[in-house]
Parts: sequence; C-alpha cells; structure tokens
Amino acid sequence: MVLEVTAKDLGTGKVLYKDERTYFEIGLDLDGYMRYGAWQIKEILDMTLQPLKTQHERFFFLMDKNTKAAEVTVNVYYYISGKKGSLIHQKKFLMNFEEE
Amino acid sequence: MFFALVFLLWTGMAWSSEEKLTFPTGPIDDFETFVKTYDSKRCMECHEDIYNEWKESYHSRSMVSSIKGIANFFTVGVPKEWEKELNKQEIIKCLDCHLPQIKFATERLAKEIAGYMIDAKLAKGAKKEKAIAKLKQLNLSCYGCHNVKIAGTAPGITGHIDPNVIYTGGEGESDVHETEHAPILKRAAFCTQCHGVYIAPDGESTYCNTLSGSYVHNYIGQGGRETCQDCHMKKKNRGHRMPGGHDLEIVKEGLEFQAEARGFRYGVGKWIPAANVEVFLTNKAGHRTPDG
Repeated sequence: MVLEVTAKDLGTGKVLYKDERTYFEIGLDLDGYMRYGAWQIKEILDMTLQPLKTQHERFFFLMDKNTKAAEVTVNVYYYISGKKGSLIHQKKFLMNFEEE
Repeated sequence: MFFALVFLLWTGMAWSSEEKLTFPTGPIDDFETFVKTYDSKRCMECHEDIYNEWKESYHSRSMVSSIKGIANFFTVGVPKEWEKELNKQEIIKCLDCHLPQIKFATERLAKEIAGYMIDAKLAKGAKKEKAIAKLKQLNLSCYGCHNVKIAGTAPGITGHIDPNVIYTGGEGESDVHETEHAPILKRAAFCTQCHGVYIAPDGESTYCNTLSGSYVHNYIGQGGRETCQDCHMKKKNRGHRMPGGHDLEIVKEGLEFQAEARGFRYGVGKWIPAANVEVFLTNKAGHRTPDG
C-alpha cells in the first residue's frame, strides 16, 4: 500500500514535489535476513496499517517561487502482486498563489 | 480391464444423483479418480448458486494461483535448503491448505501432484501446459472445508471426522448425504488455520500470510467483534465468493480515506509557495493491511 502526494505546476505540468509513505511487512529469517520464501520466514517486521487504527500522515513542502498555481494530488495505491499498483483512493486540491 | 470395470461401476454409484454422495475411506492413487472424487461439481447439482460463487473465488484456484511460491518450496526449500526428500510429509506443508484432500492421496500421487506444480513453473511448452491443466482441476473444494478441515482447529471437540459426512454451518438435512452441524464453520478460528502462520505437524512454521495473529491480537484485542465470515461472506451477500485482497471493492471498503490540504505563502515579507497536506488512513478491516 502506497500513499503518494504529488504537486504539479498547473501551468507547465512540472512536478514540484513528490513524496510517499509505504505500508508493508518484511519477512525475516532467524538470522535477520529479509526473505520471500514462506518456509524461510520466521518473523516479520510489521509496517502495515493496523486494524481499527487511523494512520495520520503530515506533508509540508515548499514549491518553486515562481509557481502561480499548483495541483496537489493525493493517491492511495494498493499492490496485490508487488508490481502494478491499483489506485483505490484519490483527492485533488488546486492552490492559487497569485497575489491580487 | 477388470479394474476399469470396477472403477466404472464404483463411479457410477458415487455420481448418480439417486444415490447417496459417498467418499472413499482409503487413499487414492490415481489422479483422475482423485479429481473426480473431490470435484466440487458433485455438489453443484443441488447447490448451484454456492458452486457458482465458489467458482469465482480464489479457493477455486488455490493451486494455479500459487504455482511460483509452492514450486519454489518444492525445488529450493525442501531439497536444497533443508536437504530433505520431497515426500508427502513435506508436500502437505503447502497442500494441507491449498489442496486439503491431499490427505487422501497416496504417497505416489502426492509426488505426482508436486511434480505438476514443479513443471508448471519450470517446464516449457506442452509439458508446462499439461501441468497447468492438471493443476486447474485441483483446488480447495467444497469437501476441503466441509469435511477435511473441520477437525483442523479443535480436534478434541470435533473428534473423528467421517469421510462420508458433509459438515455444514447451518442445521439443515439432506437426502443425498449425511449431514452434521459444525459451528466451527461460522467462527474465525476455522479460517485462521490457513489464513495465518501455518504450523505443520512436525513443528515447522510457514509464513504464507499472517492475518490471524493480527486479527486476534490487534482487532479483537482492541474491541473488534466481527468474524472473517461476517465481512468476507455475509456482507453484501458475498457468500462463497469470499473476496479478499484480490478484490478492489473490498479493499476500498476496508480503508477509509480522508485528505485535507492548504496552500499558503511561506515566509514573512519575502515568501514562497508552500503547502501542507494531512492524510488520515483508517484501517476498517479486521486485520492488518496489506497482508497475504
């Protein structure tokens, strides 16, 4: 699961900012090596979203000083196979920085 | 010829809709007989709706959907890392969940099925296609849950499982098969025997997925009170389709999303464009997300 925040210049389309948070678990063997084989994994590092809990993520960023307007997109992707993520939630915000 | 005649007579008896649905009590050595004996199509005649739901589920594809992981265990895990022979005792560490009826396969047939799994991953051309076609006939069938796995979590209570009894969550009766009410089918404990860390009879643990620990300790422990069946079967009449992580509808349903944002001019006097984004992700599922 990936939460991605992207800001683009509304005029040029240039990416001004991009950051993400990833929620997953890592399988470890008895010696602490990361493993994929179900028979090798004896412990997990749990960095997933926990049931009945709200994960609060904060992003603060500065953009190019010449930016007049930006579009900020928040996407949540779900990866079932680890390759291509499916977009399951999205919200967009328009921000205008022009002075009147 | 004689054996073929005996087989035809036996299958004719077992498949006739006028006869009771019966199952052999001893091990089966022949692949085709094994497939026909535990084929969910035998249940379809009376339970067509449920059969069609199950057909859409990953349970109906429990072998072909897991070729890579299982074949790796059979070709790398057992022979190379553990330096053990790939026999039924090792094969069952995967197939006890992916094909519970393997319990009724002979040692030879279990190895034949393991061979198809290996060929499905490593072979080329016709050999690979043949192996995949064979595996498509094997799955977590009706019989797997409604008989074989019934005693998987509470054998002291459920006692001996009769191969000719169909165990159900309801209390109905059938003229076609012996029926026994099994409340375990309605409890999360039934699902967790496979949807969690699997402990083999020899003590080996297999981390295919870890849902059950998360369910018991993080969901129930924090006041969650729904069962696996409540969300994956009862809600929205999902029934035996039992959608999970492969179904985006239930994935979306399990994750509440809220985002707030504010653009502003950062700095006093001289300023540059800035933004603050706040995101709230609430996991409404009864287990960690994501998980296997």
